[in-house]
Amino acid sequence: MDKLIEILEGLQPEVDYEKVDNLIDGRYLDSLTILSLVSEIEDEFDVEIPTVEIIPENFNSAKKIWSLIEKLQED
Amino acid sequence: MSSYYSGIYLFVLLPLIALIYNLIPKKRQWFLLLANGFVYYLLGKLGIIYLIISILSVYFCALFIKKIDDKKELTLKNKDVDKKLIKKKSKTKKKLILTLCILLNLAFLIAFKYLGFFTTNINALLGLFNVDYQFEFVKLLAPIGISFYTLSALSYIIDVYNGKIEAEKSFVKVALFLSFFPQIMEGPITRFSDTAKELYAGAKICYHNLAFGYQRILYGYFKKKMIVDRLNPMVTTVFNDYSNLNGFTIFLGAVFYTFMLYMDFSGTMDIVVGTGQIFGINVPENFRQPFFSKNVSEFWTRWHITLGTWFKDYIYYPVSLSKPLKKLTKSLRKVLGNHYGPLVTGSVALMAVWFLNGLWHGAGYTFLLFGLFHFIMIVGGNFLEPLIIFICKKLHINRQNIVYRILQSVKMSLFVFYGEMIFRANSVTDLVGMTKGIFTRFTFNGTELLNLGIDIYDYIIIFIVFIFIFIMSLLKEKNIDVREKLANMKTWQRWLILYIFILIILIFGAYGPGYEPLDPIYADF
Repeated sequence: MDKLIEILEGLQPEVDYEKVDNLIDGRYLDSLTILSLVSEIEDEFDVEIPTVEIIPENFNSAKKIWSLIEKLQED
Repeated sequence: MSSYYSGIYLFVLLPLIALIYNLIPKKRQWFLLLANGFVYYLLGKLGIIYLIISILSVYFCALFIKKIDDKKELTLKNKDVDKKLIKKKSKTKKKLILTLCILLNLAFLIAFKYLGFFTTNINALLGLFNVDYQFEFVKLLAPIGISFYTLSALSYIIDVYNGKIEAEKSFVKVALFLSFFPQIMEGPITRFSDTAKELYAGAKICYHNLAFGYQRILYGYFKKKMIVDRLNPMVTTVFNDYSNLNGFTIFLGAVFYTFMLYMDFSGTMDIVVGTGQIFGINVPENFRQPFFSKNVSEFWTRWHITLGTWFKDYIYYPVSLSKPLKKLTKSLRKVLGNHYGPLVTGSVALMAVWFLNGLWHGAGYTFLLFGLFHFIMIVGGNFLEPLIIFICKKLHINRQNIVYRILQSVKMSLFVFYGEMIFRANSVTDLVGMTKGIFTRFTFNGTELLNLGIDIYDYIIIFIVFIFIFIMSLLKEKNIDVREKLANMKTWQRWLILYIFILIILIFGAYGPGYEPLDPIYADF
């Protein structure tokens, strides 16, 4: 989780990732940041994020992104 | 049915359907909704045959995909099999079914919507190369709402393929989802998970839903009668006779057209969402105060939302996150950094999105230019963003400051007005002429504005309604729910406000000679 927060802060530093739960709906992360984020997550956690998983429900908070990573790692 | 705005629909058909809906048993209510959808298709240019073939295609293809998946799961339980090979074989089969289904549905869309455009252009090309052959011009009458319907149908089959939803066994549920009667003409482009369950479940119509639904419908009707039909003569004159008009008048024509389009489309959506609410169905919203956006990119996340998310989910991300582009993003990020690296690959996907968005709106060069314009505006905005941040930091400008935010919205609106001018222009030649007109003879002539088919009385009403809509939007933007506040008032106060509102529409709405009720604009797309 810490590593994920580090990645997120590297891409968009002006957000409190412990608290914000509308990263997509609140437009904190735009589609370009998502492209970078996906690529960083895939590198760091050795997972492949299918495009169908790129939905606000999976990316609206650091917690949710982390759950997605865990789910993909299990698969 | 000419339009959802017609008195027959709003005051006779809809109450009648609602009444019958309430009288039949809950378990059978879906039948009425389905029958209604089919009747509307029957009335609309022989679309029923197309509708049935298309529903059957997505229904059976989805089930077929499910069967392949089930078979794969069963085979994988056997430990002695080559799992990789089984998965690969199953994926190939699924892909084939998906491709065939998409092609069939796209073939309908192309045949109905684009055949004329392609024939004209191919014939022009043949002429250019002195080939003595011309294809026969075939213009088929497109079933109403085919562009909206096709995207919903495709989303269903793609979601099943991706495992996002399970293929629905009940044919009725799929048919209902694709033919819910208020959505036929102009969408919104719904996903199966949005409405299918509620459509099938049935519910008794309660007072709250009936009141809120009709309130919403009334607001849509208000937009149409106060603004759309009133502005129509002026907009038509400006776009048809721009060559004799001043630059300011042409510019105002583009502004009024944008406002008219917004009121027309969002007004229809009010009627669709309101109708859904009467039956207890939550139809997704298509607008979220778009003119409060900071830039063109945000505007398109607030205007025609269901189209934007469709393109994002089924074109933008699949293209930009495809293996070759993902690889490219990775390499480019190392060279160009976290902003410009993904911007290059994102732009490739964005170009595909805006090309298709333009084409979706219609077969014509103005629509393709409309797409290109937005592509350039959005990519340009993203390209300049780091520079703007840098300048603001240097000059100590707070980007959250209200003045800065207003200026941002004004700039965004100017781009949107021009985009909609491209959209509405009768031809590319006209667009060039109008653009030249704005920049070369930008003078104000008050008398000219009164000779465009509307008078000073119209301008005053438009202005007052504009202020009213602006205040309502501002309140919504601030999360203040006016309708809830209204619902909490005393009964006599509520009814008084309602009667005043109806009276305003009756007295100040655009009726009678000089006003031609305009058919919903988006129903043509």
